[in-house]
Amino acid sequence: MDLKNTVQETCLCDEATFKLVFDSQFKALRNFLIFRYRNPNFAEDIAQNAFVKLWENCKILKNEQAKSFLYTTAIRLSLNQIKHEKVVNEFEIKLVPKSFHHESPQFLLEEIELKVQLEKAINSLSTKQREVFLMNRFENQSYSEIATQLNLSVKAVEKRMHHALLSLRKVIKSI
Amino acid sequence: MNNKETYLSDWLANKITDEQLKQFVSDDDFIAFQKIKKSLDVFQIESSDSIASFQSIKDKINTKKSSSVPVIPIWKYISIAASLILLLSFSFYFSRETTIETDFGTTQNSTLVDNSIVTLNSKSKLNYSNFFKFNRNLYLNGEAFFQVKKGSTFTVNTTLGKVEVLGTKFTVTNSDDFFEVICYEGKVKVTLKNDKISILTPGKSIQYYKDKTELRVDKTLKTPLWLNNETSFKNVPVKIILEKITNQYGVQFDFPKSIENILFSGTFTHNDIDTALKSLCIPLNLKYIKKGTTKIEISE
Repeated sequence: MDLKNTVQETCLCDEATFKLVFDSQFKALRNFLIFRYRNPNFAEDIAQNAFVKLWENCKILKNEQAKSFLYTTAIRLSLNQIKHEKVVNEFEIKLVPKSFHHESPQFLLEEIELKVQLEKAINSLSTKQREVFLMNRFENQSYSEIATQLNLSVKAVEKRMHHALLSLRKVIKSI
Repeated sequence: MNNKETYLSDWLANKITDEQLKQFVSDDDFIAFQKIKKSLDVFQIESSDSIASFQSIKDKINTKKSSSVPVIPIWKYISIAASLILLLSFSFYFSRETTIETDFGTTQNSTLVDNSIVTLNSKSKLNYSNFFKFNRNLYLNGEAFFQVKKGSTFTVNTTLGKVEVLGTKFTVTNSDDFFEVICYEGKVKVTLKNDKISILTPGKSIQYYKDKTELRVDKTLKTPLWLNNETSFKNVPVKIILEKITNQYGVQFDFPKSIENILFSGTFTHNDIDTALKSLCIPLNLKYIKKGTTKIEISE
Protein backbone atom coordinates (compact mmCIF):
# COMPACT_ATOMS: atom_id res chain seq x y z
CA MET A 1 0.00 0.00 0.00
CA ASP A 2 2.77 2.41 0.80
CA LEU A 3 3.96 3.85 -2.45
CA LYS A 4 6.81 5.72 -0.89
CA ASN A 5 8.74 2.56 -0.21
CA THR A 6 7.85 0.56 -3.25
CA VAL A 7 8.51 3.02 -6.02
CA GLN A 8 10.65 5.75 -4.65
CA GLU A 9 13.54 5.97 -7.06
CA THR A 10 11.62 5.35 -10.23
CA CYS A 11 9.55 7.52 -12.50
CA LEU A 12 5.84 7.08 -13.04
CA CYS A 13 6.42 7.23 -16.76
CA ASP A 14 8.30 3.98 -16.48
CA GLU A 15 5.82 1.27 -17.39
CA ALA A 16 6.93 -1.09 -14.66
CA THR A 17 6.45 1.62 -12.06
CA PHE A 18 3.09 2.47 -13.51
CA LYS A 19 2.08 -1.16 -13.26
CA LEU A 20 3.19 -1.22 -9.62
CA VAL A 21 1.02 1.77 -8.85
CA PHE A 22 -1.83 0.11 -10.70
CA ASP A 23 -1.48 -3.12 -8.77
CA SER A 24 -1.44 -1.37 -5.43
CA GLN A 25 -4.09 1.25 -6.11
CA PHE A 26 -6.54 0.25 -8.80
CA LYS A 27 -8.76 -2.09 -6.85
CA ALA A 28 -9.04 0.27 -3.89
CA LEU A 29 -9.79 3.20 -6.14
CA ARG A 30 -12.40 1.28 -8.07
CA ASN A 31 -14.05 0.03 -4.88
CA PHE A 32 -13.97 3.50 -3.37
CA LEU A 33 -15.89 4.70 -6.42
CA ILE A 34 -18.34 1.84 -6.06
CA PHE A 35 -18.84 2.67 -2.36
CA ARG A 36 -19.44 6.25 -3.32
CA TYR A 37 -21.57 5.89 -6.42
CA ARG A 38 -22.86 2.32 -6.17
CA ASN A 39 -22.29 1.71 -9.87
CA PRO A 40 -19.59 -0.85 -10.72
CA ASN A 41 -19.41 -0.04 -14.46
CA PHE A 42 -19.19 3.66 -13.76
CA ALA A 43 -16.55 3.04 -11.09
CA GLU A 44 -14.49 0.84 -13.36
CA ASP A 45 -14.58 3.41 -16.14
CA ILE A 46 -13.72 6.36 -13.92
CA ALA A 47 -10.92 4.44 -12.23
CA GLN A 48 -9.44 3.55 -15.61
CA ASN A 49 -9.67 7.15 -16.79
CA ALA A 50 -8.00 8.36 -13.61
CA PHE A 51 -5.08 6.07 -14.38
CA VAL A 52 -4.96 7.37 -17.94
CA LYS A 53 -4.73 10.89 -16.51
CA LEU A 54 -2.02 9.73 -14.15
CA TRP A 55 -0.04 8.42 -17.13
CA GLU A 56 -0.52 11.66 -19.02
CA ASN A 57 0.78 13.64 -16.07
CA CYS A 58 3.51 11.19 -15.09
CA LYS A 59 6.26 13.65 -15.89
CA ILE A 60 5.10 16.35 -13.51
CA LEU A 61 4.01 14.08 -10.66
CA LYS A 62 6.20 12.63 -7.98
CA ASN A 63 5.60 9.03 -7.01
CA GLU A 64 4.25 9.88 -3.59
CA GLN A 65 1.70 12.19 -5.17
CA ALA A 66 0.24 9.41 -7.30
CA LYS A 67 -2.28 8.16 -4.78
CA SER A 68 -3.83 11.50 -3.90
CA PHE A 69 -3.75 12.48 -7.56
CA LEU A 70 -5.70 9.35 -8.44
CA TYR A 71 -8.41 10.00 -5.86
CA THR A 72 -8.73 13.70 -6.61
CA THR A 73 -8.85 13.02 -10.33
CA ALA A 74 -11.35 10.20 -9.91
CA ILE A 75 -13.69 12.39 -7.87
CA ARG A 76 -13.36 15.24 -10.35
CA LEU A 77 -13.99 12.91 -13.30
CA SER A 78 -17.01 11.45 -11.55
CA LEU A 79 -18.52 14.84 -10.87
CA ASN A 80 -17.96 15.86 -14.49
CA GLN A 81 -19.53 12.68 -15.72
CA ILE A 82 -22.51 12.92 -13.42
CA LYS A 83 -23.04 16.54 -14.40
CA HIS A 84 -22.77 15.53 -18.02
CA GLU A 85 -25.08 12.54 -17.88
CA LYS A 86 -27.34 14.04 -15.22
CA VAL A 87 -28.23 10.60 -13.86
CA VAL A 88 -26.03 7.80 -12.69
CA ASN A 89 -27.88 4.54 -12.47
CA GLU A 90 -27.80 3.43 -8.91
CA PHE A 91 -26.97 -0.19 -8.49
CA GLU A 92 -27.05 -2.05 -5.25
CA ILE A 93 -23.76 -2.96 -3.70
CA LYS A 94 -23.46 -6.72 -3.77
CA LEU A 95 -21.56 -8.70 -1.23
CA VAL A 96 -19.91 -12.01 -2.03
CA PRO A 97 -18.42 -14.49 0.46
CA LYS A 98 -14.66 -14.35 0.71
CA SER A 99 -14.40 -18.13 0.74
CA PHE A 100 -16.62 -21.15 1.18
CA HIS A 101 -15.27 -22.72 4.33
CA HIS A 102 -18.41 -22.83 6.42
CA GLU A 103 -19.01 -25.89 8.48
CA SER A 104 -22.72 -26.24 9.09
CA PRO A 105 -25.62 -25.62 6.72
CA GLN A 106 -27.32 -23.75 9.53
CA PHE A 107 -24.44 -21.34 9.81
CA LEU A 108 -24.47 -20.87 6.07
CA LEU A 109 -28.16 -20.10 6.10
CA GLU A 110 -27.73 -17.58 8.88
CA GLU A 111 -24.88 -15.98 7.06
CA ILE A 112 -26.82 -15.64 3.82
CA GLU A 113 -29.70 -14.10 5.67
CA LEU A 114 -27.34 -11.66 7.32
CA LYS A 115 -25.70 -10.91 4.01
CA VAL A 116 -29.04 -9.89 2.49
CA GLN A 117 -29.81 -7.64 5.43
CA LEU A 118 -26.33 -6.20 5.44
CA GLU A 119 -26.51 -5.41 1.75
CA LYS A 120 -29.77 -3.63 2.26
CA ALA A 121 -28.38 -1.71 5.23
CA ILE A 122 -25.17 -0.70 3.44
CA ASN A 123 -27.09 0.47 0.41
CA SER A 124 -29.31 2.63 2.53
CA LEU A 125 -26.40 4.39 4.24
CA SER A 126 -25.70 7.97 3.29
CA THR A 127 -22.93 8.35 0.72
CA LYS A 128 -20.59 9.97 3.24
CA GLN A 129 -21.05 7.19 5.76
CA ARG A 130 -20.96 4.43 3.20
CA GLU A 131 -17.73 5.40 1.49
CA VAL A 132 -15.86 5.77 4.77
CA PHE A 133 -17.33 2.66 6.32
CA LEU A 134 -16.66 0.41 3.34
CA MET A 135 -13.18 1.80 2.73
CA ASN A 136 -12.32 0.87 6.25
CA ARG A 137 -14.03 -2.48 6.34
CA PHE A 138 -13.51 -3.79 2.82
CA GLU A 139 -10.32 -2.06 1.82
CA ASN A 140 -8.68 -2.25 5.21
CA GLN A 141 -7.72 1.37 5.13
CA SER A 142 -6.96 3.04 8.44
CA TYR A 143 -8.94 6.07 9.53
CA SER A 144 -5.98 8.33 8.93
CA GLU A 145 -5.47 6.95 5.42
CA ILE A 146 -9.11 7.56 4.60
CA ALA A 147 -8.88 11.01 6.13
CA THR A 148 -5.98 12.06 3.89
CA GLN A 149 -7.59 10.62 0.78
CA LEU A 150 -10.90 12.34 1.34
CA ASN A 151 -9.40 15.50 2.74
CA LEU A 152 -11.14 15.03 6.07
CA SER A 153 -9.99 15.11 9.64
CA VAL A 154 -9.47 11.76 11.33
CA LYS A 155 -12.13 12.73 13.86
CA ALA A 156 -14.67 13.22 11.07
CA VAL A 157 -13.87 9.80 9.68
CA GLU A 158 -14.28 8.24 13.10
CA LYS A 159 -17.64 9.94 13.58
CA ARG A 160 -18.85 8.75 10.20
CA MET A 161 -17.78 5.22 11.02
CA HIS A 162 -19.57 5.38 14.31
CA HIS A 163 -22.80 6.62 12.80
CA ALA A 164 -22.58 4.16 9.95
CA LEU A 165 -22.42 1.28 12.40
CA LEU A 166 -25.33 2.72 14.35
CA SER A 167 -27.36 2.97 11.13
CA LEU A 168 -26.56 -0.62 10.25
CA ARG A 169 -27.69 -1.71 13.66
CA LYS A 170 -30.99 0.09 13.16
CA VAL A 171 -31.65 -1.67 9.87
CA ILE A 172 -30.57 -5.07 11.11
CA LYS A 173 -33.01 -5.18 13.99
CA SER A 174 -33.90 -8.82 13.77
CA ILE A 175 -30.52 -10.10 14.84
CA MET B 1 -14.27 7.65 27.92
CA ASN B 2 -15.01 11.05 26.47
CA ASN B 3 -15.53 9.83 22.90
CA LYS B 4 -19.27 9.32 22.97
CA GLU B 5 -19.56 9.82 19.26
CA THR B 6 -16.75 7.52 18.21
CA TYR B 7 -16.78 4.49 20.52
CA LEU B 8 -18.06 2.22 17.74
CA SER B 9 -15.35 3.28 15.33
CA ASP B 10 -12.78 2.90 18.08
CA TRP B 11 -14.08 -0.57 18.74
CA LEU B 12 -13.89 -1.47 15.03
CA ALA B 13 -10.31 -0.21 14.94
CA ASN B 14 -9.53 -2.25 18.06
CA LYS B 15 -8.82 0.90 20.01
CA ILE B 16 -11.19 -0.26 22.73
CA THR B 17 -11.96 -3.81 23.84
CA ASP B 18 -15.28 -5.68 23.79
CA GLU B 19 -15.55 -5.06 27.52
CA GLN B 20 -15.15 -1.35 27.07
CA LEU B 21 -17.81 -1.35 24.35
CA LYS B 22 -20.24 -3.17 26.64
CA GLN B 23 -20.18 -0.11 28.87
CA PHE B 24 -21.67 1.95 26.04
CA VAL B 25 -24.23 -0.44 24.58
CA SER B 26 -26.82 -2.97 25.69
CA ASP B 27 -26.11 -6.69 25.51
CA ASP B 28 -28.41 -7.11 22.51
CA ASP B 29 -26.70 -4.32 20.68
CA PHE B 30 -23.30 -5.70 21.51
CA ILE B 31 -24.22 -9.07 19.99
CA ALA B 32 -25.62 -7.37 16.94
CA PHE B 33 -22.51 -5.25 16.44
CA GLN B 34 -20.35 -8.31 16.84
CA LYS B 35 -22.35 -10.16 14.21
CA ILE B 36 -22.10 -7.24 11.82
CA LYS B 37 -18.37 -6.98 12.34
CA LYS B 38 -17.93 -10.69 11.79
CA SER B 39 -19.97 -10.86 8.61
CA LEU B 40 -18.19 -7.83 7.22
CA ASP B 41 -15.02 -9.88 7.58
CA VAL B 42 -16.59 -12.82 5.78
CA PHE B 43 -17.90 -10.89 2.83
CA GLN B 44 -16.24 -8.71 0.29
CA ILE B 45 -17.08 -6.56 -2.65
CA GLU B 46 -17.11 -8.29 -6.00
CA SER B 47 -13.67 -7.68 -7.39
CA SER B 48 -12.93 -6.88 -10.96
CA ASP B 49 -10.59 -8.54 -13.38
CA SER B 50 -7.60 -6.30 -12.86
CA ILE B 51 -5.65 -7.69 -15.82
CA ALA B 52 -8.48 -6.68 -18.13
CA SER B 53 -8.66 -3.30 -16.42
CA PHE B 54 -4.96 -2.68 -16.93
CA GLN B 55 -5.25 -3.69 -20.55
CA SER B 56 -8.08 -1.27 -21.19
CA ILE B 57 -6.12 1.51 -19.47
CA LYS B 58 -3.25 0.78 -21.84
CA ASP B 59 -5.64 0.84 -24.79
CA LYS B 60 -7.06 4.14 -23.68
CA ILE B 61 -3.58 5.61 -23.32
CA ASN B 62 -2.62 4.42 -26.78
CA THR B 63 -5.75 5.66 -28.49
CA LYS B 64 -5.39 8.98 -26.72
CA LYS B 65 -1.80 9.21 -27.89
CA SER B 66 -2.72 8.65 -31.49
CA SER B 67 -5.77 10.83 -31.35
CA SER B 68 -4.08 13.59 -29.40
CA VAL B 69 -1.95 14.52 -32.40
CA PRO B 70 -4.71 16.44 -34.20
CA VAL B 71 -5.57 18.71 -31.30
CA ILE B 72 -6.58 21.42 -33.74
CA PRO B 73 -10.35 21.61 -33.70
CA ILE B 74 -12.22 20.84 -36.87
CA TRP B 75 -13.16 24.45 -37.57
CA LYS B 76 -9.49 25.31 -37.86
CA TYR B 77 -9.11 22.69 -40.54
CA ILE B 78 -12.14 24.02 -42.29
CA SER B 79 -10.85 27.57 -42.21
CA ILE B 80 -7.43 26.49 -43.44
CA ALA B 81 -9.06 24.57 -46.25
CA ALA B 82 -11.33 27.47 -47.09
CA SER B 83 -8.50 29.98 -47.25
CA LEU B 84 -6.47 27.58 -49.37
CA ILE B 85 -9.33 27.18 -51.78
CA LEU B 86 -9.80 30.93 -51.88
CA LEU B 87 -6.11 31.51 -52.47
CA LEU B 88 -5.95 28.84 -55.14
CA SER B 89 -8.99 30.11 -56.95
CA PHE B 90 -7.63 33.66 -56.85
CA SER B 91 -4.25 32.65 -58.17
CA PHE B 92 -5.93 30.41 -60.70
CA TYR B 93 -8.16 33.24 -61.82
CA PHE B 94 -5.38 35.78 -62.05
CA SER B 95 -2.78 33.50 -63.50
CA ARG B 96 -5.12 32.62 -66.30
CA GLU B 97 -4.40 34.34 -69.53
CA THR B 98 -6.68 35.44 -72.23
CA THR B 99 -5.37 34.77 -75.68
CA ILE B 100 -6.64 36.22 -78.91
CA GLU B 101 -5.28 34.59 -82.03
CA THR B 102 -5.94 35.10 -85.69
CA ASP B 103 -5.35 32.70 -88.53
CA PHE B 104 -4.13 33.30 -92.08
CA GLY B 105 -5.98 36.07 -93.81
CA THR B 106 -8.24 37.09 -90.98
CA THR B 107 -8.42 40.12 -88.78
CA GLN B 108 -10.20 40.30 -85.49
CA ASN B 109 -11.63 43.14 -83.47
CA SER B 110 -11.60 42.73 -79.72
CA THR B 111 -12.69 45.00 -76.94
CA LEU B 112 -10.50 44.59 -73.89
CA VAL B 113 -11.82 44.75 -70.31
CA ASP B 114 -10.80 48.42 -70.10
CA ASN B 115 -12.82 49.16 -73.26
CA SER B 116 -9.71 49.63 -75.37
CA ILE B 117 -10.10 48.20 -78.84
CA VAL B 118 -7.59 45.92 -80.46
CA THR B 119 -7.64 44.90 -84.08
CA LEU B 120 -5.44 41.96 -84.75
CA ASN B 121 -4.06 41.51 -88.24
CA SER B 122 -3.67 38.05 -89.74
CA LYS B 123 -1.59 35.38 -88.05
CA SER B 124 -1.12 37.33 -84.85
CA LYS B 125 -1.39 36.46 -81.23
CA LEU B 126 -2.22 38.60 -78.21
CA ASN B 127 -1.96 37.51 -74.59
CA TYR B 128 -2.98 39.24 -71.42
CA SER B 129 -3.52 38.05 -67.90
CA ASN B 130 -6.66 38.58 -65.88
CA PHE B 131 -4.72 41.22 -63.95
CA PHE B 132 -5.20 43.38 -67.03
CA LYS B 133 -7.86 45.47 -65.31
CA PHE B 134 -5.31 46.58 -62.73
CA ASN B 135 -2.22 46.50 -64.87
CA ARG B 136 -2.72 47.08 -68.55
CA ASN B 137 -0.01 44.86 -69.85
CA LEU B 138 -0.23 42.65 -72.88
CA TYR B 139 1.97 40.54 -75.06
CA LEU B 140 1.89 40.67 -78.81
CA ASN B 141 3.33 38.55 -81.52
CA GLY B 142 2.30 39.74 -84.96
CA GLU B 143 0.53 42.93 -85.87
CA ALA B 144 -2.20 44.79 -84.12
CA PHE B 145 -3.87 48.19 -84.13
CA PHE B 146 -4.69 49.59 -80.73
CA GLN B 147 -7.24 52.22 -79.80
CA VAL B 148 -6.46 52.73 -76.15
CA LYS B 149 -8.90 54.21 -73.65
CA LYS B 150 -7.34 56.89 -71.49
CA GLY B 151 -6.25 55.60 -68.13
CA SER B 152 -3.27 54.00 -66.52
CA THR B 153 -0.24 53.06 -68.59
CA PHE B 154 -1.03 50.62 -71.35
CA THR B 155 1.90 48.45 -72.29
CA VAL B 156 2.34 46.25 -75.33
CA ASN B 157 5.23 43.84 -74.91
CA THR B 158 6.90 42.14 -77.81
CA THR B 159 10.10 40.19 -78.17
CA LEU B 160 11.88 43.15 -79.72
CA GLY B 161 10.61 46.04 -77.66
CA LYS B 162 7.76 47.44 -75.72
CA VAL B 163 5.30 50.24 -76.35
CA GLU B 164 3.84 52.30 -73.54
CA VAL B 165 0.95 54.70 -73.95
CA LEU B 166 -1.69 56.44 -71.91
CA GLY B 167 -4.46 56.73 -74.46
CA THR B 168 -3.98 56.74 -78.19
CA LYS B 169 -4.18 54.85 -81.46
CA PHE B 170 -1.22 52.97 -82.78
CA THR B 171 -0.11 49.87 -84.62
CA VAL B 172 2.46 47.44 -83.44
CA THR B 173 4.04 44.93 -85.79
CA ASN B 174 6.33 42.26 -84.52
CA SER B 175 7.96 39.27 -86.13
CA ASP B 176 11.22 37.41 -85.60
CA ASP B 177 13.51 40.32 -86.41
CA PHE B 178 11.20 43.08 -87.51
CA PHE B 179 9.46 45.50 -85.21
CA GLU B 180 7.41 48.51 -86.19
CA VAL B 181 5.25 50.96 -84.29
CA ILE B 182 3.09 53.53 -86.02
CA CYS B 183 1.38 56.19 -83.97
CA TYR B 184 -1.94 57.60 -85.23
CA GLU B 185 -3.11 59.60 -82.26
CA GLY B 186 -1.73 60.73 -78.91
CA LYS B 187 1.76 59.85 -77.77
CA VAL B 188 3.52 56.53 -77.73
CA LYS B 189 6.66 55.62 -75.88
CA VAL B 190 8.64 52.84 -77.53
CA THR B 191 11.39 51.02 -75.70
CA LEU B 192 13.42 48.78 -77.94
CA LYS B 193 15.19 45.62 -76.96
CA ASN B 194 18.46 47.56 -76.86
CA ASP B 195 16.88 49.94 -74.29
CA LYS B 196 16.64 52.75 -76.83
CA ILE B 197 13.63 54.91 -76.03
CA SER B 198 11.68 56.90 -78.63
CA ILE B 199 8.57 59.01 -78.26
CA LEU B 200 6.20 58.88 -81.20
CA THR B 201 3.72 61.61 -81.98
CA PRO B 202 0.87 61.19 -84.49
CA GLY B 203 2.08 60.24 -87.95
CA LYS B 204 5.46 59.12 -86.69
CA SER B 205 6.58 55.56 -86.89
CA ILE B 206 9.58 53.60 -85.81
CA GLN B 207 10.99 50.58 -87.53
CA TYR B 208 13.50 48.18 -86.12
CA TYR B 209 15.05 45.62 -88.40
CA LYS B 210 18.25 43.68 -87.83
CA ASP B 211 19.44 46.02 -85.08
CA LYS B 212 18.84 49.12 -87.18
CA THR B 213 16.20 51.65 -86.23
CA GLU B 214 14.53 54.15 -88.49
CA LEU B 215 12.16 56.95 -87.56
CA ARG B 216 9.69 58.19 -90.16
CA VAL B 217 6.90 60.72 -90.47
CA ASP B 218 3.73 60.33 -92.53
CA LYS B 219 1.04 62.70 -91.37
CA THR B 220 -1.52 61.37 -93.83
CA LEU B 221 -2.09 58.15 -92.00
CA LYS B 222 -5.16 58.04 -89.83
CA THR B 223 -5.63 54.32 -89.42
CA PRO B 224 -3.62 51.39 -90.71
CA LEU B 225 -4.48 50.45 -94.26
CA TRP B 226 -4.86 46.79 -93.40
CA LEU B 227 -8.06 47.75 -91.67
CA ASN B 228 -9.32 48.48 -95.20
CA ASN B 229 -8.10 45.14 -96.52
CA GLU B 230 -4.81 46.53 -97.70
CA THR B 231 -1.34 46.43 -96.28
CA SER B 232 0.99 49.26 -96.98
CA PHE B 233 4.71 49.55 -96.49
CA LYS B 234 7.29 52.24 -96.53
CA ASN B 235 10.87 51.12 -96.99
CA VAL B 236 10.21 47.68 -95.67
CA PRO B 237 12.46 44.73 -96.56
CA VAL B 238 11.00 42.29 -99.05
CA LYS B 239 11.44 39.48 -96.56
CA ILE B 240 8.99 41.15 -94.17
CA ILE B 241 6.54 41.85 -96.96
CA LEU B 242 6.64 38.21 -98.00
CA GLU B 243 5.99 37.27 -94.38
CA LYS B 244 2.98 39.54 -94.41
CA ILE B 245 1.69 37.97 -97.60
CA THR B 246 2.24 34.58 -96.06
CA ASN B 247 0.23 35.61 -93.01
CA GLN B 248 -2.48 36.97 -95.22
CA TYR B 249 -2.85 34.20 -97.73
CA GLY B 250 -1.30 31.19 -96.01
CA VAL B 251 1.20 30.55 -98.76
CA GLN B 252 4.91 29.76 -98.63
CA PHE B 253 7.63 31.49 -100.56
CA ASP B 254 10.86 30.33 -102.08
CA PHE B 255 13.03 33.31 -102.83
CA PRO B 256 16.72 34.03 -103.41
CA LYS B 257 18.63 35.49 -100.48
CA SER B 258 19.75 38.39 -102.61
CA ILE B 259 16.33 39.98 -102.60
CA GLU B 260 15.39 39.70 -98.94
CA ASN B 261 16.80 43.04 -97.93
CA ILE B 262 15.53 45.09 -100.84
CA LEU B 263 13.36 47.87 -99.47
CA PHE B 264 9.86 48.23 -100.80
CA SER B 265 7.22 50.92 -100.52
CA GLY B 266 3.69 50.19 -101.58
CA THR B 267 0.54 48.32 -100.72
CA PHE B 268 -0.93 44.93 -101.33
CA THR B 269 -4.54 43.92 -101.25
CA HIS B 270 -5.97 41.26 -99.00
CA ASN B 271 -8.57 40.17 -101.50
CA ASP B 272 -6.62 38.63 -104.32
CA ILE B 273 -3.22 36.95 -104.12
CA ASP B 274 -2.36 37.55 -107.80
CA THR B 275 -2.96 41.29 -107.50
CA ALA B 276 -1.03 41.32 -104.29
CA LEU B 277 1.92 39.46 -105.80
CA LYS B 278 1.90 41.64 -108.87
CA SER B 279 1.93 44.82 -106.83
CA LEU B 280 5.06 43.59 -105.16
CA CYS B 281 6.85 41.90 -108.07
CA ILE B 282 6.28 44.29 -110.94
CA PRO B 283 7.89 47.37 -109.32
CA LEU B 284 10.85 45.28 -108.17
CA ASN B 285 11.24 43.44 -111.44
CA LEU B 286 10.67 40.04 -109.89
CA LYS B 287 8.94 36.98 -111.29
CA TYR B 288 6.70 34.58 -109.40
CA ILE B 289 5.64 31.07 -110.25
CA LYS B 290 2.86 29.29 -108.39
CA LYS B 291 3.89 25.77 -107.51
CA GLY B 292 0.82 24.01 -106.22
CA THR B 293 -1.74 25.85 -104.11
CA THR B 294 0.47 27.01 -101.27
CA LYS B 295 3.95 27.25 -102.74
CA ILE B 296 5.24 30.23 -104.68
CA GLU B 297 8.69 30.64 -106.13
CA ILE B 298 10.05 34.11 -106.66
CA SER B 299 13.02 34.81 -108.88
CA GLU B 300 14.78 37.83 -110.25
